[in-house]
Amino acid sequence: MQKGFVAYNNEQKSLEAETEGIKNSQTLIQKAMNWFSARSMFVVAYGTGCGAIEMPPVFTSRYDIERLGVVGVATPRQADIMIVSGYCSLKTLRRVIRTYEQMSEPKYVIALGSCTINGGMYWDSYNTIKKLEEYIGVDMYVAGCMPRPEALIEGFVKLQESIRNNTIQPGYVKYREDYAYYQANQEKLLGKETQPVYEEDYAGMNLS
Amino acid sequence: MKNLQKTYEVTQKVERLFEVTVTQTDFWEAVLYISTQTEFNTLSQIACADWIEEEHFLLTYILTTDARDKNLMLKLTLGREYESMPSVMTLFPQAEVMERDLHEMYGIGFEGNETLYDFVLEQWHDLPPLRREFDTLAFVHEHFAFKGGREDNKDVKVEQKRRREEAKKQKALEAAKQEAKKQETEKQETEKPKEPNTHATDAEETQDKKPDTKEAEDGQ
Repeated sequence: MQKGFVAYNNEQKSLEAETEGIKNSQTLIQKAMNWFSARSMFVVAYGTGCGAIEMPPVFTSRYDIERLGVVGVATPRQADIMIVSGYCSLKTLRRVIRTYEQMSEPKYVIALGSCTINGGMYWDSYNTIKKLEEYIGVDMYVAGCMPRPEALIEGFVKLQESIRNNTIQPGYVKYREDYAYYQANQEKLLGKETQPVYEEDYAGMNLS
Repeated sequence: MKNLQKTYEVTQKVERLFEVTVTQTDFWEAVLYISTQTEFNTLSQIACADWIEEEHFLLTYILTTDARDKNLMLKLTLGREYESMPSVMTLFPQAEVMERDLHEMYGIGFEGNETLYDFVLEQWHDLPPLRREFDTLAFVHEHFAFKGGREDNKDVKVEQKRRREEAKKQKALEAAKQEAKKQETEKQETEKPKEPNTHATDAEETQDKKPDTKEAEDGQ
């Protein structure tokens, strides 16, 4: 398993070394890869906050985003996109970080609603985070409180365009390169246990 | 209801809401009696208010009947300095979650409830956040950073008032200016003789006619 991982890492590094100088002028393979990844976006089924209510109409027959190549998927291991839909409490943030780190690259994050940008109406709440971009890499913001499904679809389309044309530096690259920055922010807020612990033996209750 | 009125002083707040006040020591006896001997046999909510000036919590156990047609508020005061209550989980199993919530938000202990660990707040090491000595804004500014660009953010209501007053002032100024202009024009009209006005209108008419003729010539 380790050998495979090392081989994968080397392959990844060689790919990055090749593409470093030609970020704007893509190779043919890169173009094809970007085209494919823009046309097949698998969204992990995970909702935080009130924006989770706006997502079902997007994925069902009313707006039917599957016509744009966006499909829901049950596990983060197979997903390309995570939507952080609305306010994100400290307890949720631990789950968000775990989900984000479980996703395989290339992965993108759409932040839905004003709460993820600057706290929104929860700007003075002790229990919700204010800027999502401090804790994970964010690719697309959709502002509003709450944004309508049309706005979310526009966010998807813009993200697809930017992936296809390679116009932005993806959030996961930032997250990988500046991991120390993100980790420091996470630990400052959440303590050293930045991810949820499920196996803890609470006050005489055996949860395992 | 009759049983209840025999043993406790019941005050009727509104049509279907009654109130009984007990002390902390009599609480367990009262809740046991009410839940078994009277029609109020279900717990629907435990509410808590923090009276920091009077240095106590006001706990309200809201009990309902089977038919859900009457509510009883069982009120008692509790000291603020991390005192504890007997848990009512043996009478009402649904009290587990409510007591957990109160323990987390106010720091009230409940003897007999073994689930008083993390509930909504996970790994929270600060004061219980709904106690009034907990300074929410200070906590927010200590732990979170805001995006730039909102430094000119002002109190909305104050700003609204100020803008309305400014708009009113500007309107009054404009009205005064218009009135002054009107008065000037009226003065000029009265001062000027009528003959030059007629000349001017003739000149305008001739100017209007000229371009028509030009166009006609171009067309030809």
